[in-house]
Amino acid sequence: MIEEHDVLVVGAGCAGMRAAIEAFDAGADVAMISKLHPTRSHSGAAEGGINAALGNAAEDSPESHAYDTVKGSDYLGDQDSIEIFTREAPDDIIQLENWGAFFSRQPDGRLAQRPFGAAGSPRTIYAADITGHVLIQVLYEQVCKRDIKVYEEFFAWQLVVNDGRCQGVICWDLLNGGLKTLGGKTVVLATGGAGRQYRVTTNAYACTGDGTAMALRAGVPLKDMEFMQFHPTTLYPTGILLTEGCRGEGAYLLNKDGERFMKKYAPNALELASRDVVSRSEQTEIDAGRGINGSVMLDMRHLGAERIIERLPGSRELSMVFAGVDPIYEPVPVRPGAHYHMGGIETDTDGATELTGLYAAGECACVSVHGANRLGGNSLMETITFGRRSGRAAAEWALSNTTIDVPESLERDAERELKDLLDRGSGERPWKIRDELGTSMLENFAVFRRGEQMQRQLEIIPELRERYRKVYVEDKGNVFNSDLTQAIELGNMLDTAWCMLEAGIARKESRGAHARPYDYPTRDDVNFLKHSIVRWKDDAPELSWAEVRMTKWQPEERKY
Amino acid sequence: MQVALKVWRYDAATGDRALREYEIDAPEEATLLDCLDIVKDKVDGTLAYRKSCRMMICGSCGMRMDGAAVLACKVRMYDVAQAGQVPVISAMGNLPIVRDLVVDMDPFWDKFKAMKPYLQPGYDRPEDGREYRITQPRMDAIKKEALCINCGCCVSECNAMESDPEFLGPQALAKGMRFVGDPRDAATVERLEQYSGEHGIWECTRCFFCNERCPKGVDPRDAIAKLGAEAIKNGIDRDMGAKHAKWFVRSSETTGWLRETELVPKTQGIVSSVKQMKFAMNLISHNKAGLAFPPHVAKDVGEARQLHKIVREQDRQGAFGHIQGERALAKLAHGVHDEGRDPYGPGSFPKPYLPEDTE
Repeated sequence: MIEEHDVLVVGAGCAGMRAAIEAFDAGADVAMISKLHPTRSHSGAAEGGINAALGNAAEDSPESHAYDTVKGSDYLGDQDSIEIFTREAPDDIIQLENWGAFFSRQPDGRLAQRPFGAAGSPRTIYAADITGHVLIQVLYEQVCKRDIKVYEEFFAWQLVVNDGRCQGVICWDLLNGGLKTLGGKTVVLATGGAGRQYRVTTNAYACTGDGTAMALRAGVPLKDMEFMQFHPTTLYPTGILLTEGCRGEGAYLLNKDGERFMKKYAPNALELASRDVVSRSEQTEIDAGRGINGSVMLDMRHLGAERIIERLPGSRELSMVFAGVDPIYEPVPVRPGAHYHMGGIETDTDGATELTGLYAAGECACVSVHGANRLGGNSLMETITFGRRSGRAAAEWALSNTTIDVPESLERDAERELKDLLDRGSGERPWKIRDELGTSMLENFAVFRRGEQMQRQLEIIPELRERYRKVYVEDKGNVFNSDLTQAIELGNMLDTAWCMLEAGIARKESRGAHARPYDYPTRDDVNFLKHSIVRWKDDAPELSWAEVRMTKWQPEERKY
Repeated sequence: MQVALKVWRYDAATGDRALREYEIDAPEEATLLDCLDIVKDKVDGTLAYRKSCRMMICGSCGMRMDGAAVLACKVRMYDVAQAGQVPVISAMGNLPIVRDLVVDMDPFWDKFKAMKPYLQPGYDRPEDGREYRITQPRMDAIKKEALCINCGCCVSECNAMESDPEFLGPQALAKGMRFVGDPRDAATVERLEQYSGEHGIWECTRCFFCNERCPKGVDPRDAIAKLGAEAIKNGIDRDMGAKHAKWFVRSSETTGWLRETELVPKTQGIVSSVKQMKFAMNLISHNKAGLAFPPHVAKDVGEARQLHKIVREQDRQGAFGHIQGERALAKLAHGVHDEGRDPYGPGSFPKPYLPEDTE
């Protein structure tokens, strides 16, 4: 063990940094571990905004925000979490602004708010279309101010579980090589999503579900893993995100004839229906042959040059660089792409998991604010509010407990496992397995899901895992060995994808992002108004179910 | 398409450098980063480089292509490949190489942290416990600086840092301007004082390579100019660089000409000037400099004075003068679009229409 801290935060995106700041302010000795530098985290790629009922642009209330979120979740969100979330969000936003966040303003000087999908009021605070970048910067500034220790380019590999408690993390030091064990009285996982399981995704190369997989293998249950959100507007062909803010500012979605097809699917909300609805509508149009090259068109021409340059400069630049299209004059080809994992490590409203000493926040966690479908702008807010809550809870627990005990045998086991992997002299390199996973997941477990396709995918994944067992790492060096870390990441993606499939097949209904129009086209509240829970047992996922926590809102038909 | 690349490899264990050539098959939309990925996957798994978002926002993949810093994810390879060029890819400059295309970013972040890169609020905090009330145009003063993704491309290209490795450099100073220009920050004077010290604002040689190479349009050199203007406005002008700049202003206002002969004593002081007398005499004997007296006064000096008066009256001496200038330029250079073009003209995508209601 090289170093001990009260609180170890794994991941340094918005949730991780917010948790670390809170733990520091609570008086704990806190350190962050990240396989990237903090500002490289994928939270920074969030574009459109962050939701809180400030009521600056129009009348709004946390209750209204909560209702929209519950409805958006297709009634699968835990309503106690959602109420805490929407109640505490406004103060968190004000704090970010007071820390110096560079948010956009309305004419009276207060924070501007724009309309977003499935929101009853313009509720989304934004910074042009680089909101995530602005948040990452302001949080990193606060980390610098507190001089919080960051283990940069440390790849977290395994959790240390001893005496029924999580007591540290075993990491691979990317820059210098070697396994390094860090001890912590509590560990907060904030490792983000796993969109790289899909070939078409908005996610960064780093989004490989590392924390989720670590927790899973440590025996911690994962919740609602079948719900992967497909964002309706990802650029063709790269899958790069174009913000929902484009539609918030008024952009249209058109099929190849120029028809605003959303009128047929969401007659009231049109392009601003919730993401699952819009993605399904697009996919229906594309499948019916009314798309162009497997895409539909995002049309901003009517917004005019000035508004596009002022409010959506990043989206314009992305369109021009990656699709060669200037949105001022031409519509941009877009299609649904894997974007956000609603499911994750099951936590309570303080981020605590079933394993003592282990907490989780952000996309890797599932406090279940998002249920079966997340609303745009809610994920950044979740990282802040629940990052803060879990940082606080982790610090308080750590400060009232004193010992860290990492048995050497655990470190030796990890060393041996690593040696096995590195000593292998030949075999299949990871990229082919990775590409096959991405392609097959997109084919068999994407916007629309068929029973037989899911079944096929459930056979493919164990086969890929079998091949992965013999995977060959070509780079044997110690310095910046990304060949090794990418191989480990692939293992994480395979295991979490298996959990998603297991839960998806068992959920015999259509709810939120889990759409089975061919065999179970409707929502089934009698049998499936419950969370799927997956645990790792004998090297395979094991499924069970848990109740949804309801407070005020009973399920209703969901129309936009 | 076929893409050929030459990559400078660096072995950390032995310290050996070698230029390796790779030829790969890549899709037409491939970027430089995509091509490196293909090399790593299919040709050589030991190639080391950083990457993450592949959408120009995380700042991981700064490197040099044919000697100039780029974000690998922003460079489309189609034209390069079509032209049959074989670009040389190497690690960024001004930072120690760790391996292949990976540099040690610690010196970079040390300078970032030296800027006290966090808001230092003053007493006039919002009384109602809400957000500060600031208009968008006022916030826009630091719009460009707020775009910085800390990729290091500017630092890689910085000529001043090449001669003085301790120079704070373009990205750190741009971060500094981000706070100096923020109306919520109350540490303006302390910051300007600190940034004006040795290795600070005035160390910049104004080569403009940082502006040229920034992939996000931050224009760090402009940020440094704004810091300089703010420093002088706040009376922080002990540095030779500040004195030098001030003499330009003074000289142009009084005579309408730059009085070069006086520049040295005004900037460096009498002692230093005396030491350089021999050099000055040499210049004079070769007709490269004139005598200081009598000063030559420009015919239209009144116009120069009028310009100075306007700047003062409109309070444009500090950063705001630069920002206003930038806005005027931005209308010409940035945010350009093809204004004559009709988005709905012949050959364009059909006009949108709403379908008949189905329900």
